[in-house]
Amino acid sequence: MKTFQYLRPASLAEALDLLARHGPAARLVAGGTDVMVDFKKNGLEADILVSLRRLTDLRYIREGNGQVHIGGLTTLRDLERSSLVARRIPGLADAARVMASVQIRNVATVAGNICNAAPSADTAPPLLAAGTQVRLVSPAGSRDIPLDQFFTGPRKTIRRPDEILTEFVVPIPSGPYSQAFWKHARRKAMDLAMVSVAVHLELEDDLVTCRQARIAHGVAAPTPIRTPEAEERLKGKKITPELLEGIGEASCEETLCRDSIRGQAWYREEIIRVMVRRMALRALERCRMGRPA
Amino acid sequence: MTRDRELRYVGRPIPKMDAAQKVAGRAQYIQDLKKPGMLHGAIKYSDQVHARILSIDASRARKLPGVKAVLTGDDIPLIPIGFMKDNLALKKGKVRQYRDEVAAVAAINSEIAREAVDLIQVEYEPLPAVFDPEEALLPGAPLIHETDAKGGPNKSNRLKLPWNLVCGDVDAGRAASTHVVEDRFSTTWVAHCCLGASGCLAEFDLSGNLTMHSITQIPYLAQNDFGAFLAGLGLEGKNVRILSTTIGGGFGSKLDTHVYEFIAILLAHKTNKPVRMIFSREEEFLAQAPRQPTRIRIAQGCDQYGRLTFRDVDMILDNGAYTSWGATTPSVMMVPISSLYRVPNVRYKATCVYTNNLYSQAMRGYGNPQATFAIESITDQLAEAAGIDPLEFRLLNVNQPGEITPQRFRVTTCGLRECIEGVADKLGWAEHRKNPKKARGFGLGSLIHVGGGARVYKSDGHGMIMRVDDFGKVTVITGGVEIGQGLETIIAQVTAECVGVLPEDITVVKGDTSICPWDVGTHASRAAFVSGNAALAAGAKLKRKILELAGPMMRVDPKDLDLRDRMVFSTYDPEEAMPLDKVLRKAHFTAQGTVLTAEHFYDPPNEMLDKEFKGNLSCSYAYGATGVEVEVDEETGQVEILKYIAAHDVGRALNPLLLKGQVYGAALMGTGMALTEQLVLKDGKVQNDNFLDYKILTALDALPVEPILVEPVDEAGPYGAKGVGEPGCVPVAPAIANAIYDAVGVRIRDLPITPEKILAGLKKKRGGTL
Ligand SMILES: Cc1cc2nc3c(=O)[nH]c(=O)nc-3n(C[C@H](O)[C@H](O)[C@H](O)COP(=O)(O)OP(=O)(O)OC[C@H]3O[C@@H](n4cnc5c(N)ncnc54)[C@H](O)[C@@H]3O)c2cc1C
Repeated sequence: MKTFQYLRPASLAEALDLLARHGPAARLVAGGTDVMVDFKKNGLEADILVSLRRLTDLRYIREGNGQVHIGGLTTLRDLERSSLVARRIPGLADAARVMASVQIRNVATVAGNICNAAPSADTAPPLLAAGTQVRLVSPAGSRDIPLDQFFTGPRKTIRRPDEILTEFVVPIPSGPYSQAFWKHARRKAMDLAMVSVAVHLELEDDLVTCRQARIAHGVAAPTPIRTPEAEERLKGKKITPELLEGIGEASCEETLCRDSIRGQAWYREEIIRVMVRRMALRALERCRMGRPA
Repeated sequence: MTRDRELRYVGRPIPKMDAAQKVAGRAQYIQDLKKPGMLHGAIKYSDQVHARILSIDASRARKLPGVKAVLTGDDIPLIPIGFMKDNLALKKGKVRQYRDEVAAVAAINSEIAREAVDLIQVEYEPLPAVFDPEEALLPGAPLIHETDAKGGPNKSNRLKLPWNLVCGDVDAGRAASTHVVEDRFSTTWVAHCCLGASGCLAEFDLSGNLTMHSITQIPYLAQNDFGAFLAGLGLEGKNVRILSTTIGGGFGSKLDTHVYEFIAILLAHKTNKPVRMIFSREEEFLAQAPRQPTRIRIAQGCDQYGRLTFRDVDMILDNGAYTSWGATTPSVMMVPISSLYRVPNVRYKATCVYTNNLYSQAMRGYGNPQATFAIESITDQLAEAAGIDPLEFRLLNVNQPGEITPQRFRVTTCGLRECIEGVADKLGWAEHRKNPKKARGFGLGSLIHVGGGARVYKSDGHGMIMRVDDFGKVTVITGGVEIGQGLETIIAQVTAECVGVLPEDITVVKGDTSICPWDVGTHASRAAFVSGNAALAAGAKLKRKILELAGPMMRVDPKDLDLRDRMVFSTYDPEEAMPLDKVLRKAHFTAQGTVLTAEHFYDPPNEMLDKEFKGNLSCSYAYGATGVEVEVDEETGQVEILKYIAAHDVGRALNPLLLKGQVYGAALMGTGMALTEQLVLKDGKVQNDNFLDYKILTALDALPVEPILVEPVDEAGPYGAKGVGEPGCVPVAPAIANAIYDAVGVRIRDLPITPEKILAGLKKKRGGTL
């Protein structure tokens, strides 16, 4: 059986140092819920696992400077239980609630979900729709990257092997806004999305006219994606169900759905059309129910 | 049967006796079993679906340190195994399915064993393959087996195992019908998904006797199969002892002896060491055998009043590459086909076909869920054609107590009417018919199943021995197999009740063929029925012996004595009493004293089907009805089950807690089969060998199941009970399919009912294209 070294650095600096020292032989592990599956299924390519579990100061959710800051080591369960997330990033709260199971959510992290970069990563569409930036730290310094430039292919990102994702920065719009996320799956837990849809709407004070919109999808392309043309078509328009029909169609046009054992392309497209409309309406309703303070 | 006195333990919701052990992790599963010097077995499976084996090179595997034996088909005698003796433990000549076992390794640990397996190289010459059972029947289709078990040539892939039932005159029935509907349905591969993966541990003693640590549902038939195998190995007449560990779920997956078990025997024989073989979860999907898929053509008619006139069913079963007991599921499919509702003219033909698919086997319901899917779907279609409400239509044709069905089943009690009415009432059927809500639908499905054993084998018997010790503790030695259904608890309740002690006084000893008397196996929902009846008879004998000993001690005629709650007392004067343990010690510790045992072999008075497939298969028949309310999302095709009512005619609920457990579990299993579960095979290859892509339902998908227990106490059963292990999952799929049709007018004929199929149906209905 394949054996590996398991290192548990106590600080970010130490972790970065280990990564730099061991190069591609080392692999980061946070909650391990992707890494261990990989390990069992495909055999691990790395000889050294560098655990981030002791970096507890990377586990936080806080608000400041008109932004929400989420530490990379924050668990999905933390997201689910955070009133700040529920209020400020409701789409992300929607996602956390329908991921895996409570047991997995207790250990799985946001950075792990994003860095694993599965097309089905459920936190990706809501974070994309929220306009998130990720902070990557390496011994050479740190850089902030918009999440929509982070994914480069299925399970591929622009992250260099010596970088650690330390923080997600989510802007808080100044005007009224809300979000909603839909995961389309065959069962209610322990499932991956057949396709998923996140909608972020910012409104004028009339609560009808769209100031800005972002629409993002999981499993609709080789990576989680935004559909900018559809977003653009919403801008400045009064939002109605009829308008949203067209937006769903437009958003669908920008996807690359395919057939797989988990679902057929035609069905995925159908769901995108329907759910873009429904999630936009849900976001609209949330916005009207209680403007985020 | 039951006297008028109040029952003390039977009928009580007593928790499962082994539950705490399991929850605390104390139960010993096959995976926990270790023996000194034990080796670990692993299997090399074919990576070709149909091919000649040109050569096997195991030299590198043999040289790997830690490897103790490597076997291929060339190293072992040809010993045919399986229900039709069409299989070999290690294949010789050719492979017929992806999972075919071509070599096996025993090594000092499982990692080395698996590594060795990967070092084995097999050269194949591919052969044309066939995956569609209907294509496999066409002339010129590739032959899966060139010869039959006797060596005679096979002309086609049709199994020499025809199923033909004719009752009355179907053509005349059809001619006399006012309404006739015909349709086709299909069901697919469904995996048992036992939480405990398969495994065994084989060990020989120095005289060549075999002990098999096993999780089988049929220890005595397994003993027979393994004995025959030993004879093939030159160990004729040696003893075979089956020792059962705790079994992590059966559901019909352990009704056959399996290839991996024979391989473990071969490796243990070769190495003269205990060999344990444990499946991974992936192997559980790839190398176990799923529920037999079916293609069903069915026609059914009724007269102008809605009374059924005939039912005509033609079915093809995809056997896969080899034959298991699953090929006999048509014998149980006949039960609903001939006898669900009163239908005078019935014809049923089933053809089992070899293909290069995974070979399949029986699963909970033994074919009944597949057959009932077609029957109960077409019953709704016929009701609609006749313009009759589906509830009314069912009640019009409902089975009656005392009737003799066309297949010559002698119905004793029958609570089907109460079941259907109870379900309809709880669902709010009448209100729904008056004010249907948009995209909401109601659906019904009824069931009949064997409830009093089923003579599918020469004996349907169950042996039991009881002994009572000096302290009044009773040991019950049973041939029955506990697969989690609660057999032990039921035996303790019935024994305590009929002997006159407390359930906690009972120790149930099981799972050792050298100690426990014969039983045909845990199948056909029979365990509580047969073991309960055996316990009643053995318990009565034991009690009589106790009272006969107590009589002289108490100077009371034994006829006037009774035993209850550990106390022997005079029925005339209950004050005149003597504690049971005292009686027993007094009897034991005298010169030429005595200790007490009693035994009983219960073989139910049911009949094996005759040449025409007729006869009273079971002593009683279990009935039931499931009703659901669904909501269909017309834009996504997703189905939500809002209400789920399951009524069961159980004769008597021996233990309502365990009984409802069976109903809840069956509801989830049946709903999985209906909506989400499907082993996906592409050209014979399993595509979803894991719980991510094989979708059994989760705790969050749990349904709001409301059980209704109908108890028309049945003379044949222990305290009136009928079997209930399988029935719950029988009518689920048609009830859901009927509700979906009621909601949105789309009828799904192929399981599972996915949102894609519903949405495609809706689009077609609206006249659009995909
Ligand atoms: C049963 C089960 C159910 C699941 N259900 C879902 C689901 O519903 N939806 C879903 O999206 N996912 C699901 N997953 C996948 C997984 O749980 C999530 O992707 C999870 O968020 C991964 O987080 P982790 O901390 O466990 O990551 P890990 O497995 O520890 O790491 C994942 C990857 O990210 C890298 N990594 C981790 N942390 C960092 C960091 N800070 N900086 C840089 N790289 C890092 C690792 O090197 C690795 O490549 C499921 C997994 C299981 C086992």
